[in-house]
Parts: sequence; C-alpha cells; structure tokens
Amino acid sequence: MSMIEFKDVEKYYGHFHALKDINLKIDAGETVVLIGPSGSGKSTLIRTVNGLEEIQEGQLIVDGYDLHDPKTDMNKIRKNVGMVFQHFNLYNNKSVLENIMLAPRLVLKRDEAENKKIAMELLERVGLADKADNMPSALSGGQKQRVAIARSLAMKPKCLLFDEPTSALDPEMVGGVLKVMREIAQDSDMTMLVVTHEMDFAKAVADRVIFMADGAILEDASTEEFFKAPKNERAKQFLSQVDSH
Amino acid sequence: MNDFFAALSADNLSYLLQGLGVTVGVSIFSIIISLIVGSFVGIAMFEKIPYFSSLIGTLNNIVRNLPLLLIIFFTYFSLPQVGIRLPIFWSTVVAMSFFEAAMLSEIIRGGLESIDKGQFEGARSTGMSNKQTMLYVIMPQAYKKMIPPLISQLISLVKDTSLASGIVLADLTYRGQVVYAQNSHYIVPILIFMTFAYFVVNYLLSLLAKYFDRKLA
Repeated sequence: MSMIEFKDVEKYYGHFHALKDINLKIDAGETVVLIGPSGSGKSTLIRTVNGLEEIQEGQLIVDGYDLHDPKTDMNKIRKNVGMVFQHFNLYNNKSVLENIMLAPRLVLKRDEAENKKIAMELLERVGLADKADNMPSALSGGQKQRVAIARSLAMKPKCLLFDEPTSALDPEMVGGVLKVMREIAQDSDMTMLVVTHEMDFAKAVADRVIFMADGAILEDASTEEFFKAPKNERAKQFLSQVDSH
Repeated sequence: MNDFFAALSADNLSYLLQGLGVTVGVSIFSIIISLIVGSFVGIAMFEKIPYFSSLIGTLNNIVRNLPLLLIIFFTYFSLPQVGIRLPIFWSTVVAMSFFEAAMLSEIIRGGLESIDKGQFEGARSTGMSNKQTMLYVIMPQAYKKMIPPLISQLISLVKDTSLASGIVLADLTYRGQVVYAQNSHYIVPILIFMTFAYFVVNYLLSLLAKYFDRKLA
C-alpha cells in the first residue's frame, strides 16, 4: 500500500515554479532519501507532505487523504505524519518532557501517566532521560534534535519526515542524531522520507534514493543502483562533487 | 511663600486622596477592559483573516492617530446625543479603554509576530490545531516578550487619566487644581504631592510587571 503518492503535482511561489510535475509513490514502511543541490525543491516537496506548503495542481495522497481537497482535515493527517526540522523547533517555553507530552495530551487525549511513561521511554531511547526537566535552551543542537525526534515519535506516527535534520548541527553532533535515525529505520515499520546531505547515511539506511534538481525529480532508483551508477547526468555531477570533499 | 502645612491639611489631603482613588479606579477598569479588547483585536490582526483583519487594522490606525483628549471629549459629549448617558467616571473609562485597546493591540500583534515561525510549524506538525498552538505555545512566549512594552503603555494610561480633568472628572489632577486655586501659596506643595502620588501608583505597577516577568520566566 502506498503511504505517500504524488500525481502530477505542481507548486508555485508566485511566478516561481517550485515543484514541476512531481510523480512519486512511497510505500508504507519504505525509507526514502531525497538528495539534490540546494534550491532544488527537496524541502518544499517534503513540506507539502504534511501540508506546511500547499500544492497548486495535481493530487497528493497521504495516508489515504487527498491533501489538495479543501475539505481534508490537515490535523488528522499530521497526527500520523510527524516532522523533524532543520532548526528543531522545540517549544521554547516548555521543558524537554513537556515538549514531548504536549501533543499526545492535546491531540490524542492520552492518559497522563501513560503519556509520561511513553515520553520517558522515548527520552531513554534517544539517550536523554537525564535532561527531561531541562529547558530546550540548556541543550546542545544535537540534543535538541534528538528531543525533537522523540517528540515526533510520541505521536506514534505512521510516517516521519526529516527536513535536513543534521544540517544545522556542529560536526561532532551529527553522529548521535544519525544513529537515532538509523535505529528508527531499522527497528520500526514506519515510513521515512529524509532530506539530507549525509551520503553515508543514505547508503546505509535508504531503500531508495530520489535525486531532485530545479524542482523536478531527475532520478528515482534503488540505493545500490543510484550510488553505483546514476543514470542522470546532473546526478552524476552532484555525486562527484559531494564525494570530492 | 509655599505653605505646605495649610496646603496639605487633613481636609485637603482627604479631598486629594479621593481624587487619587478616582484616578486609580478609572485606571484599573480601563486596564482590564483594554487588555481584553486589545488582545482580541491584536490576535485578529495577527491571524490575517481576509477583509476582517485589514478592516480592524485600518480602524486601529485611525484611533491610534487621534489625540486621547479628543476621544475623551467625543465620548463625553457625543454619547448622550445617541441616548447613552454615562456618569463621567464611566464615560472616561469608555474613552480610555477604546484608545488604549488600540495601542495595546499593536503591542500584542507585534509580540505575536516576533515569535519564530518554526514554533508554529513544530506544533502544527504534531497535529495540534491553530487554537491549541496559539494557546499553549505561541501566546505564553509572546506575552512574556510583551511585558515591558505593555507595562510602559499601561503606565502611560495611568498618567493620561489626568486628561479627563478636561471634562471635569474629579480625579487627582482636577482636585489638585481646585485646591491650589484657593491660594497661590498652595501651588507648589500640591504639585509636589501630585508628583509623589502618580509616581507611587506607577512604581507599584512596574513592580507588578517585574513580578510577572519573573513568574513567567
């Protein structure tokens, strides 16, 4: 069953054509990595999946709901589609534990004791149980991102979107975040769509790689195929540039 | 010469303190009403509801560009002509609340705008509704940032109640004028007393602000 399906999707910012004729199907349980030069529309594409960006034409079906239909209740989709951001977006006014417990309490009406138990288990899983009562401002970037991942997981989503989760981190913090992401990909049957520049992570975790440039999908291939022999000329160029440093 | 003892006799003092009571009373009601109305107006402008928000924004701009004294006169003299007869105290409260709500709403809108867009996206991406996001994530952060400008606006409000002496509201300023009109030796003592009284009220207000600031930190 497909979790995410783009059919002839077009997206414009005013006159700027941000997404061009996107056709893409991602099955439930798949881990897909989205790569490409900056400005290629990767982030825009991933943000359309939970409705943070609207599409102008075509059909976008997520978890059975048509996002382009104005009658669709976005909050219902977002309940099942979590997102991890480049800049973490933790609530500055809430403690680490409260960051994780807020949405399950308000949206899922989860029982308070159970909510806390799940939140603590997740903090344990990302290695930050001792930070439960800290405010986000007291954490390092890598720690913030691990809390943000725990916050998304607390909703028990079917699908998790990662929008350049390690791009804003100091180099020594990247490993810890990628490790958590790798574990999620391996231990769960969650669908994962990841925008990243971490090629080693893509090679290790992704089932499929999608290469984008100038708002269009130029290549969609299995991870092995893509890294061994990309068919698209731009993709080849991109890979050689990424590998060279 | 200045005659402090006669100017601040027991009779005069109780007369002046009643005036201070009126000043504080008008201020408290105006603060409460303008904070509530100003919050709604500020949030309405922030939410960018088609037509409605720009209508409110335009009205707001008009009100903010009028002198408060004009609004006080207008309320006092025009409301009776449309059949609304208010005692002078409440007429002043209406005028002050109207004007201050417009001033406060801009502070509130600005405070909400100052919150990083990522805070919305973080909350919305977990399935929280717009209302929940505003209530639990955005407003607590915005109000904390707004405390200093809100308090300085509210201190202006307390001081500006003195304008209502222009429609003969028996507030501290008006009563001070009444007392020193009796004897020119009273002028400076009474002005000093008024200075002290306004300062104490507003200083208490800023202490309250510090308390809230610490509580919300």
